Amino acid sequence: METRTFDNVASLAYFAPELGLIAAVLLLVVWDLASPARLKIAGLVVISLAALAWSGGMGAYFLAKDAGPHELFHGLLAFDRFSNLFRVIFAFVTGAIVLFSVPPRGPGVAPELRRDQGEFFTLILVLSLGMNLMAASRHLLLIYLSLELVSVMSFVLAGFKINDARSSEGALKYVIFGGVASGIMLYGMSWIFGITASMHLGECAARIAALTAQQGKVPEVVFVGTACMLAGFGYKISAAPFHMWTPDVYEGAPTPVTAFLSVGPKAAGFAVLVRFFSDALGAGSASPAVATPWPVLAGCLAMATMTIGNLSALGQENVKRMLAYSSIAHAGYMLLGFSVFSDAGVAAIAFYIVTYCFMNLGAFMVVMAVAEQSGGDETLSAFRGLGRRAPLVAAAMVVFLVSLTGLPPTAGFVGKFYLFSALLTAGGAWRWVLAIVGVVNSVISLFYYARVLRAMYLEKGERTEPVAVRPLLGATTCALAVPTLLLGVYWGPVYDFVASSLSMLR
Amino acid sequence: MPSLSALVFLGLAALTLGSAGFVAFSRNIIHSALALLGTFLGIAGLYVTLSADFLAATQVLVYVGGTLVLILFAVMLTSRIAEMKVSNPRGRPVVAFVLVTAVLLVLGRVATRTPWPAEARPAMPSTAKLGHAFLGEYLLPFELGSIVLLGAMIGAVVLARRAVRRAGEKE
Repeated sequence: METRTFDNVASLAYFAPELGLIAAVLLLVVWDLASPARLKIAGLVVISLAALAWSGGMGAYFLAKDAGPHELFHGLLAFDRFSNLFRVIFAFVTGAIVLFSVPPRGPGVAPELRRDQGEFFTLILVLSLGMNLMAASRHLLLIYLSLELVSVMSFVLAGFKINDARSSEGALKYVIFGGVASGIMLYGMSWIFGITASMHLGECAARIAALTAQQGKVPEVVFVGTACMLAGFGYKISAAPFHMWTPDVYEGAPTPVTAFLSVGPKAAGFAVLVRFFSDALGAGSASPAVATPWPVLAGCLAMATMTIGNLSALGQENVKRMLAYSSIAHAGYMLLGFSVFSDAGVAAIAFYIVTYCFMNLGAFMVVMAVAEQSGGDETLSAFRGLGRRAPLVAAAMVVFLVSLTGLPPTAGFVGKFYLFSALLTAGGAWRWVLAIVGVVNSVISLFYYARVLRAMYLEKGERTEPVAVRPLLGATTCALAVPTLLLGVYWGPVYDFVASSLSMLR
Repeated sequence: MPSLSALVFLGLAALTLGSAGFVAFSRNIIHSALALLGTFLGIAGLYVTLSADFLAATQVLVYVGGTLVLILFAVMLTSRIAEMKVSNPRGRPVVAFVLVTAVLLVLGRVATRTPWPAEARPAMPSTAKLGHAFLGEYLLPFELGSIVLLGAMIGAVVLARRAVRRAGEKE
């Protein structure tokens, strides 16, 4: 089917997932006001899940029907397999977070979230909408707006804990850092717009390609503009040197929010990063005669990000903070695949994002389950003796941590395998250096993940009574652990599906 | 003798940068907030020299009229803002100075050596064209902007309500 550009009205049919999310947001606000108190939470959860099922389901339907590619809204949004794949991923992640944030029932347990449940679910759905738009944007203006939509919602969610100085401090740092990063990104966009006289990625690409051919190299001005834009993207995926906000925000935010921020916006950041580089800069399809600076730039970012993340995670006592640093390191691994700028690299990133969703969401869910039962204690000491006190949850945590380290037979191993194989297939001394740094980093990461394992199984805690984990949390944890294991042994169909869903409008 | 437009540009740039420097370096936060007025007005003037009349008017209405007043309110209504203790140490100013100078030199060099595509701008007013663009080709960003604002409003309510509760709890 040939690519068509639709006007505003004709685009709506292809924009249905996002329209559903917007409708649900408005419905949630009304429901929060008008519902009876008894049914309130149930209604909120049902409305949110229904909207996400609609959004993800429509994405899957478009994928199955092989619809598109089209340009929506006069070319502002792309409707292609890439955006639809990310619709499914984001709907899944957000759905897991919604389940995750159902407050515990009954007295005795202090709810970590504040009483404003309606607002919480509303903000999460708006965030999901912003992530969908990020993955589909083909226009600098829309990239900025959707990024800002995600950022503003994240700021509020990070400060959602009541009467908690750390939460407020994290949120404030997030705001300041986000504002600076957005400002630098806008400045970079103005350079790109200045030289290409267009904000549409396709037209930028044509102009940049013409300039590159004319000068025999990537023009300096494009390099400066892109480097500045990387500040905005790097801040979303928490890549060094834009990672400084991550530990404080992740530690201070409520655990469901931390889990969300570590997976959702990060995946969205990678989606917009990949689309910008392959669409506007043509980094994936550049002629080999022209040496582009992008592989070296991305490689340096990847190495710095991995190393800083892993080394800082080593001494952490707070498990949530450790997972924050570990999520920085994982952004570094994904940047390894990004630095190849090939289809195999993009496929490896997308598959890694899928596996990362399972293992990271799962790890945070266990942290929440444990902290809930130990009076909000998120440090290693809360995990002591967990192997005996809550065998099932501890076993799930083992799966997640082994997977995060990247050892077989788990999904994390397969994901890392594809990342490294994409890197080494591309060849060259620089790629080998990157791969070696990556492997060394994986070994380092084993140390701090193993500390949690040791605390759970080899150390004795002060308390020995069994931990009563909420059924909902326990069930969701197991539901996340099963695919983490399963994808480690039988990943073929999922990988093929992901790899075939990466065709992008160019 | 430079042309009139160059003189106007230099004057406006000096106003903008000078006020911005005052905002950054002034010890008194109220003086900083007031100095923002010069920056905002300078930017509005720059918009006029770029034939963006509607944008200039919006800049004055929204930033000078709205944002600045809001900032002043925030500064004056925050209790004990003057005796704030800075918990995070300030890094080495020398290193920062060297880095910033290097970035500035690179940016300046690239900016002056690049052949920017220039085109003659159509004369003002631009309002009608903006209106048509927002209700036609750029309808989606326009509507998305309202969703950002809706979300931000809900978020502001959430965060502000906590402040009220805290005040109530102290009593």
